[in-house]
Amino acid sequence: MAINEKMLEEILNKYPAKVKRNRKKHILIRDSALETQEIEANTRTIPGIVTNRGCAFAGCKGVVLGPLKDMVHIVHGPIGCAYYSWLTRRNKARADEPKKNFLAYCVSTDMQESDIVFGGEKKLARMIDEVVEIFKPNAITISATCPVGLIGDDIQAVAKAARAKHGLNITAYSCEGYKGVSQSAGHHIANNGLMENIIGEGDWEEPPSKYTINILGEYNIGGDSWEVERILNEIGYEVQAVMTGNGSYEKLKNAHVAQLNLVQCHRSINYIATMLETKYGTPWLKVNFIGIRATIESLRNMARYFGDEALIKRTEEVIEKELAEIEPQLEPYRKICSGKTAFCFVGGSRGHHYQGLYEELGVTTVLAGYEFAHRDDYEGRDVLPNIKADADSKNIPDLHVTPDERRYRLKIPAERMEELKQEIPLSNYKGMIDDMTDGSIVVDDLNHYETEEFIRILKPDIFSSGIKDKYIPQKMGIPTKQLHNYDYSGPYAGFRGAVNFARDVAMGFATPTWNFIMPPWKNQPLLEGTVEDCTANTCVEEVAT
Amino acid sequence: MAREKTTYRMVNENPCNMCMPMGGILPFKGIEESMVIIHGSQGCSTYMRRHIAEHYNEPIDVGSSSLNEKGTVYGGAQNLFQALDNIRKVYRPRLIGILTSCLAETIGEDVEGIARYYLKQRGLEGISLVAVSTPGYGGTHSEGYWLAVKKIVAGLAETTGKHGGINVIVPNLSPADIREIKRILNLMGVRYTLVPDISDTLDRPIARPYTKIPPGGTSIESVRRMPGAAATIQFGVTVEEKLSPGHYLQSEFGVPLYNLPVPMGVEATDRLVDLLAQLSGNSAPQILNMERGRLLDCMVDSHKYNALGSGALFGDPELVYAVARTCAENGLYPAVVATGSGNAILEELLGPILADSPQQARYLNEADFTQIREACRETGVNIAIGHSDGKYLTEREGIPLVRIGFPIHDRVGGQRLLSVGYTGTTMFLDRVTNTILEHKHRNYRAAMYRKFYRKTGIEECPHEKYCAKEVR
Repeated sequence: MAINEKMLEEILNKYPAKVKRNRKKHILIRDSALETQEIEANTRTIPGIVTNRGCAFAGCKGVVLGPLKDMVHIVHGPIGCAYYSWLTRRNKARADEPKKNFLAYCVSTDMQESDIVFGGEKKLARMIDEVVEIFKPNAITISATCPVGLIGDDIQAVAKAARAKHGLNITAYSCEGYKGVSQSAGHHIANNGLMENIIGEGDWEEPPSKYTINILGEYNIGGDSWEVERILNEIGYEVQAVMTGNGSYEKLKNAHVAQLNLVQCHRSINYIATMLETKYGTPWLKVNFIGIRATIESLRNMARYFGDEALIKRTEEVIEKELAEIEPQLEPYRKICSGKTAFCFVGGSRGHHYQGLYEELGVTTVLAGYEFAHRDDYEGRDVLPNIKADADSKNIPDLHVTPDERRYRLKIPAERMEELKQEIPLSNYKGMIDDMTDGSIVVDDLNHYETEEFIRILKPDIFSSGIKDKYIPQKMGIPTKQLHNYDYSGPYAGFRGAVNFARDVAMGFATPTWNFIMPPWKNQPLLEGTVEDCTANTCVEEVAT
Repeated sequence: MAREKTTYRMVNENPCNMCMPMGGILPFKGIEESMVIIHGSQGCSTYMRRHIAEHYNEPIDVGSSSLNEKGTVYGGAQNLFQALDNIRKVYRPRLIGILTSCLAETIGEDVEGIARYYLKQRGLEGISLVAVSTPGYGGTHSEGYWLAVKKIVAGLAETTGKHGGINVIVPNLSPADIREIKRILNLMGVRYTLVPDISDTLDRPIARPYTKIPPGGTSIESVRRMPGAAATIQFGVTVEEKLSPGHYLQSEFGVPLYNLPVPMGVEATDRLVDLLAQLSGNSAPQILNMERGRLLDCMVDSHKYNALGSGALFGDPELVYAVARTCAENGLYPAVVATGSGNAILEELLGPILADSPQQARYLNEADFTQIREACRETGVNIAIGHSDGKYLTEREGIPLVRIGFPIHDRVGGQRLLSVGYTGTTMFLDRVTNTILEHKHRNYRAAMYRKFYRKTGIEECPHEKYCAKEVR
């Protein structure tokens, strides 16, 4: 069943008037006849709306910094935030030689009341000494939680002193939870810090191979980046650094030598992508390794960027080989999935990326949205000049980088670059809305109430989101698929990942469990009516259930 | 018993506890038609919802006042007002709990004052607000839990006539445990008000229609009438008086308090049943006697295996105490007892149990898992009993973990784990015994190798890294 403006209005009527006006701007019905469709995003969350959004700390330490494996990530603050960001995203990592992987460790200053009163700087400084001694990490990050900024602990100064003392890359991130409107602020803070303090610290001047690339915005959830790297290596690419899934300080510090940066999650890492372009002249390419078609397109675009015939040929060979491997495996799952509908509500990119993979299985996405994305993730980067900076976004300063005199070089001639920009998404992202079918719903910052209402109207066959909201549809009788941490499954990226995803989604549809738990619209009529003798005016009176 | 302090170390490496507001959320989930808001950064409620949802496999709705930079300067009352308005409109709760997190506390929000002003300003009746000050740096989730229970009771309690019912105040146990306690209360024929009752709300059956606030929980009316009860039974012997709802009811309303350990193990369950018999004048029904007999039979069957166990117990102080008693009753003496809380009472209570232990046991207060791990190594622990973060001991030391308590994130069914009463204890002991047996079977070859062949020059056992300590 499609949804119209009137039904939308009815859903929103439950809210107080002011909230209704606000939420209305965050929801739209896709209509490709319109030239542009504007959505409001990255604005303050309405208090009490039961959002799924997190905070700046979650975006900084939890998402971007956390997966860097050979570093110890100190959380300066009371214990809770350290605990809650302790491997909760399933970002996997395998230690490089010499073995340094500290992801299983949750390290915190565990501030107590007295630290709040008297300040925690000394405790932090002594703790850094201990961490250096215990772990001997390659680098250390310090992330601040709410009280730190408020009591005026100068973590930047502590980091600087410790850096001098230990001769180690020790950096601080003032990502207190109250900054910005969601975890997006934290991504930005982490991007700035990594760019300023780590990327380019290495002494490499030349890329180690002909096709050296970085993968940005890939967090190796459930092993995604391993699958992507497998394919890329097979074609002949050398992956220098992954930001930041399975990433490391050792790799990151020489990330500046890459000839191309791939951007998987645009939202969380586009800052670094554009800064790398300005500073080192490295263009970035928007890729999507979720879904078979999207993966193929991304690989072809990469080959086209390098423009090497042998590489293009090798790319096609690998694609052919991979397809031959997975197509027969996918077939039975397609039969189960075909004709179904899905909701796809994830953080800042996957809400878009998974729609293609669903489509390949025959599943139509009828509602999609992002938790914390900005307008450009919905409408495309063309909208960037029109986004007005507000007080919240100004709180996270842009880092102004300039071309590096020694290391800046054009990776391809300027004219060729302009040509390519017409053909492939080079330094560009066209956003999610463009890919959505007419009549489907786009919702920014979906909450519990709206989840339930949209489910009642659209009756999706599967709801894909995260752990906080997945139990709502399950209680209503609808299968779910977690797209934040994949319900402990994965990888879902690349070719083999697509098979895993198809298997997991098909399993959700096919399990006999649901035969006992029909959603109400499957076995109860949505309308009830009585048939009466025909009188002059009315024939049938319908009574809605 | 050797007790250690942690002050020589600054770093908390792999914590054994969460923060105060996290614990504060849970009791509100056990009150009928209630909602809860965290006054602070929105990340707090998001992180906590995520962790609670993963334990109970249930939707966990917690509002947030979403304080931002502006709020840190001008105060957050306006945000909290808005949050309360929106929660009321969408959820229609009869009670809203307001917990604070670090941000609101650090800027000095008077959350009780704001709550009072809100009710007055909006002219509201028929809805209760219970404000609890729970800074993340003020204690662990255990303290947050008890403070929230106390504030709920104190916030709702009214002077009422004596009604002869019994108040039952429970710590953070599983919904299955709460159901078992209620079954025992029913079997003993007492009228009771159990607070907080998460038995249905956090272990919700699939049922129609779906409602945003899960049905169940202690009714607000019965909490109001708690001061009229004949007695309070509180399973909270490790709880400091200032956090104790039972002590509050005793000192404010003169309700006699029976502070008991969690009814786990023979002796503690006997104490509950005996007390209920005394309070109600009813004797224990045959069915309970049968269950008690079965527990004894289970203990006889399994003591020979359990006596080979050397346990590390960790988690919330109240549950740790209950588990320590239960294990000791069956000859599985704890070698390491640890809690993330700074709890002085637990250490005293453990004294007699640990004194009976054939080996020197270690007690760790305000512990993290790095300390627990070291203590396990030194004492030769071969079984760990506690929440799922103890998986770290399995991964690093090969010590098998019997999961109990909160949180359990790496297994399903934490909400269905039954461990109290005679029946629950039986099930708990079986889980422990079988884990010891499984471990023994799995490591038999490696243990034999170590015992007999190590010095013969045969190459190192290939399974070595998966093997635990030798079973003594």
